[in-house]
Amino acid sequence: MGLRQIAEADLKYTLEDGVYGFGWPIEITDPSGKQDTVVGYSNDISQAIDPDTGLVVSGRVASVAMRVSTLTALGFSIPEGIADSSKKPWVIDFLDIGGATHKFKIAQSDNDRSLGIVLCLLESYRG
Amino acid sequence: MSLQLIEKKDNVEMVRDQIASLLALETDNQMLLALSVNKNPDDWKLRLFTERSNPWEQWLNNQADLSPIVNVWFDSANYEQRSSNDVERQKTNATFNIDCYGYGESSDVPLGGHLPGDQQAAQTAHKAVRLVRNILMAAENTYLQLRGLVWSRWPQSMALFQPQIATTVQQIVGARLSLEVSFNEFSPQVQSNPLEYVAIDFLRAEDGQIVFEADYQYP
Repeated sequence: MGLRQIAEADLKYTLEDGVYGFGWPIEITDPSGKQDTVVGYSNDISQAIDPDTGLVVSGRVASVAMRVSTLTALGFSIPEGIADSSKKPWVIDFLDIGGATHKFKIAQSDNDRSLGIVLCLLESYRG
Repeated sequence: MSLQLIEKKDNVEMVRDQIASLLALETDNQMLLALSVNKNPDDWKLRLFTERSNPWEQWLNNQADLSPIVNVWFDSANYEQRSSNDVERQKTNATFNIDCYGYGESSDVPLGGHLPGDQQAAQTAHKAVRLVRNILMAAENTYLQLRGLVWSRWPQSMALFQPQIATTVQQIVGARLSLEVSFNEFSPQVQSNPLEYVAIDFLRAEDGQIVFEADYQYP
């Protein structure tokens, strides 16, 4: 087994460990309505850096990172942003540290095909 | 010789406040008109601010009121010497930026599909700047209701932009209307000191002769 495959296997501990690691339950719903819960990283912060100027600007950035092999094992395809308004988007739900629930749609997905992680940038969603 | 205390506002500040006042007043009027024909008055609602750097910041954590935000701010001015005089009056051409911010949030459509937030934000910003341009360029506001002070007002440009915000969660789009307003600025004048008081009475005599008498104060 090569180092890259070992790193992907280690995602079970580095990404999906919700007991001793930073893993966090993430509910994912695909455009067909299929729903399941995976453990990954969730991120929702309210301060950001403008990459052009390096200055702190007002903003809110939310994202999740999930293991691709877990998603495919559950029967999901790779999540993606859905621009077509006639279709349902991919929807993500997770709790913040205070226990309040937040619902998002996936605005953009960055799939790391080398390591097997998909990073999804999220947008606020009412549904 | 020194000046007296400068307590006045410059006309550029009065014009900026007048632009915001006109927009606020007409927004209320439009909402009442919409109500009178059984339309949703909130579709005509604008929230007015002056000289704010990021009034849309409240949308980041509080989405209680999603009506468009309008910020009126003074950008620049230049002065025409040929149309002015060196002592008292400066003909001013000032540019005011009227920034309109629209907020959008993606939402589910139960019958199918969804409403994209980025599109909603752009359409809300378009609506806001449409209302602003129509109000300020209405015939009633040719002189911004400051006739005698304002010579003219003219929209220089309109541009859509995304505010300086690093976010994926909220969708916010801005639209800027640059309005040029021409008016006079006035500067402090020499305050004279009386040297001597003189009282003069002009009289017309019975034969039509004009006579006058002067009273002088002697120390």
